[in-house]
Amino acid sequence: MAEMTVEQLADAMYEMIKDAKGMKKYKATDLQKAMAERFGADKQACKQAIRLLMDSGRCIYTYFGGSYIEIPPDQPATP
Amino acid sequence: MERRTDIGPPHYTKFLPPVIQKNYGKWKYHEGVRPGVMVHVAESGDKLYTIRAASPRLLSVQKIRQYCDLADKYCDGYLRFTSRNNVEFLTTKEENIEPLIAELEALGHPVGGVGRSISNIVHTQGWVHCHSAATDASGIVKSVMDDLIDYFTGKKEVPGKLRIALACCLNMCGAVHCSDIAILGIHRRPPKVMANLSQMCEIPNVVAACPTAAIRPAKVDGKDTVEIIEEQCMYCANCFSVCPALPMADAELDGVSIWVGGKVSNARSQPMFSKLAVPYLPNNPPRWPEVVQTVRKIVEIWVEHAEPDERMGEMIQRIGWPRFFRLAGIQFSKEHIDDYRYAALSLKRTAQLHQS
Amino acid sequence: MAEGKKYETPKLDELEKGAWPSFVKEIKAAAQKSPMAAALLGQLEQSYNEKIGHWKHGGIVGVVGYGGGVIGRYSDLGDKYPEVAHFHTIRINHPAGWFYTTEALRGLCDIWEEHGSGLTNMHGSTGDIIFLGTTTDQLEKVFSKLTALGFDLGGSGSDVRTPSCCNGMARCEWACYDTMKVCYNLTMAFQDEIHRPAFPYKFKMKMAGCPNDCVAAIARADLSIIGTWKDEIQQDDELIKKFADEGLDIQRQIVSRCPTRCMDWDGKKLTINNENCVKCMFCINSMPRALAPGKERGAMVLLGAKAPIVQGAQLSSVLIPFIDLEDEESWNDLKQLLENIWEVWCEEGKNRERVGEFALRVGFGNFLEAIGLEPTPEMVAYPRDNPYVFYQTAKKE
Ligand code: SF4
Ligand code: SF4
Ligand code: SF4
Ligand code: SF4
Repeated sequence: MAEMTVEQLADAMYEMIKDAKGMKKYKATDLQKAMAERFGADKQACKQAIRLLMDSGRCIYTYFGGSYIEIPPDQPATP
Repeated sequence: MERRTDIGPPHYTKFLPPVIQKNYGKWKYHEGVRPGVMVHVAESGDKLYTIRAASPRLLSVQKIRQYCDLADKYCDGYLRFTSRNNVEFLTTKEENIEPLIAELEALGHPVGGVGRSISNIVHTQGWVHCHSAATDASGIVKSVMDDLIDYFTGKKEVPGKLRIALACCLNMCGAVHCSDIAILGIHRRPPKVMANLSQMCEIPNVVAACPTAAIRPAKVDGKDTVEIIEEQCMYCANCFSVCPALPMADAELDGVSIWVGGKVSNARSQPMFSKLAVPYLPNNPPRWPEVVQTVRKIVEIWVEHAEPDERMGEMIQRIGWPRFFRLAGIQFSKEHIDDYRYAALSLKRTAQLHQS
Repeated sequence: MAEGKKYETPKLDELEKGAWPSFVKEIKAAAQKSPMAAALLGQLEQSYNEKIGHWKHGGIVGVVGYGGGVIGRYSDLGDKYPEVAHFHTIRINHPAGWFYTTEALRGLCDIWEEHGSGLTNMHGSTGDIIFLGTTTDQLEKVFSKLTALGFDLGGSGSDVRTPSCCNGMARCEWACYDTMKVCYNLTMAFQDEIHRPAFPYKFKMKMAGCPNDCVAAIARADLSIIGTWKDEIQQDDELIKKFADEGLDIQRQIVSRCPTRCMDWDGKKLTINNENCVKCMFCINSMPRALAPGKERGAMVLLGAKAPIVQGAQLSSVLIPFIDLEDEESWNDLKQLLENIWEVWCEEGKNRERVGEFALRVGFGNFLEAIGLEPTPEMVAYPRDNPYVFYQTAKKE
């Protein structure tokens, strides 16, 4: 399996969040586990990818009795 | 300017008075000077006086600046807060104690809460700022401490330390579950299921949130939602924490329960949870007279019966729960008997019993 | 800022009376300058009349990049009290031990007067400085001014919550390790874990310098570090005698109340059988100066305390009976242990399952195995009295 860059991981995570929008909310660990399963991505890379999503504003942290990673509500979900 | 992140808090050494920097880790002993004042003596012979004043925890910036004015005037610009939300003024000058106390009292902040006394009530947000509250926090704390003020200031003596804490719901931000007296806001009816639940919350998440499996998926008018098995609900509000479409609050049924005999210190007996004393008292703002009276009654029992430095829980173990309930005039009821995970451990499983 | 709308608040006014300092006076003081604080009075009076709260939680506010430190709060009476329609909380990581200079405090006050309600909690339950009430558009401004002043946000959500500690060696002769240093170092080591929630649920850490546990670490922290010692209680026979001469009934008040009955008093000399002493602090508290913790000091690490939500309240239980915490090696051990705990808990923990609940669900023995600790008798009050044992041998066959 080709090594995924942090940017590619971030994109893959973003797609995952987008596809589940309104149906399921993901936590950081859900995303990390999915990336590990699909691409063999390591934890550190996943952490960086999440940070990329956050710092760029593509995703935000939300809180509903626990912390989730979501697409900001005002941003269109389809690119 | 570049945006800075992850810098953490300022290093604490910047905020330590010079006498503390000099004697850090080299303190020899401390003792009370007068109610609310203690002196710490270092191996070097240096002395540090601490003057502890009551605070409502909810502070305006105006008040914090007034604290600062006093700290500038008497304490070379240093002060600290305690884990029970009191404010402490630190000075090496004994002559500053009297005038500082006078100014604090003029400002409405009595001095006390050191050593054998009843200190500030650790508490939470309540109706001032929380979505989850079954009662207010600040109002009850104010009312109870107005009533117990003499035990704070040392005007009335107490046998030891007594810690009171308040949480306005079972989330227990104030972790009241190990306090001599705990005041706990409670709901007493199951959550209402709002019609738009499925738009706001993920149903599997909501179902999983309930510790007693009282929530199951349902369909109403063809729409996905949940239903609450009411007999299984113990009003913990876990579901509401994950889903705002399940409101719990109820003006008439919400209220306060009182718990006693917990402690966190390891001195003599091991840390203990607080146990249920009064299952329900009504919300009766602005002064919650039922809560104030009940707390006072329990405090008075302890003041009268405790041995020196005996905590509430230790005293009750010694005199027995039946006697405690008799002394407090509290009716023992079905609610007092545990029916959750470790229920069996709380039953009396010995013939050793205080028979009178 | 202009003065806000005035509301009649007869119920709250009642709480301005009495000897204890009044939170209502504080809100009114802030309301002199802040229309938000003025509206808060109005809404709170309505709560006092109706006996019900009027706040909604909302989960989508924060500063860019952080998932912790800001709690979204909205009024459900926003039309009536528009100034508090949005009224978010900011948690600021307090300096260890809650010591301040007036200069730093005034700096914080200036920021909050300009960008928020002017109301604070000194401090919140976890230990943070709490700024109560502002709007979303102010958050970045507050954050940049805070960092300029040298402060940062604390934790909230499913992350490491702001660690807190007792004032330890700064002022207390009983501190068995440097609580403030450990607190600060852990805080700095785990900035990412504080600011970017990546756990199943919250994780709190508290450090108490001795078993008196002035910060309730054993009841309130997922990781509790409590100072203790290994060797003999230091005793000064002259001073003990002085306590007796001054009227302390050493036999009745001290010796007979020692939890392990490991002391003897013959009327002149106190003898402690230190082997049986459980380091509870009672005799030391009762005879300060005359008795003191031993010289071989360190800390105990315990795991798992929490309030009732979700599965029930727990106290922390022993994980490491004794750790030095002064040398580099034990410090690295502690950090490694935390990483191991988080790894296992993140992998297997359920949503909103605290680490203490998780350890009990999978079995404490299995949990120890997963985090790489050997089981020892110090970890239990007593060995199991239940014979349903999952024998390892049977499973391997
Ligand atoms: S105890 Fe409950 S109601 Fe009170 S502040 Fe905490 S979560 Fe809110
Ligand atoms: S209040 Fe608690 S017990 Fe009742 S349904 Fe909600 S989660 Fe379950
Ligand atoms: S926990 Fe112990 S060391 Fe820390 S302040 Fe309290 S008595 Fe002192
Ligand atoms: S510290 Fe506690 S156990 Fe040890 S001798 Fe003193 S009272 Fe006894």
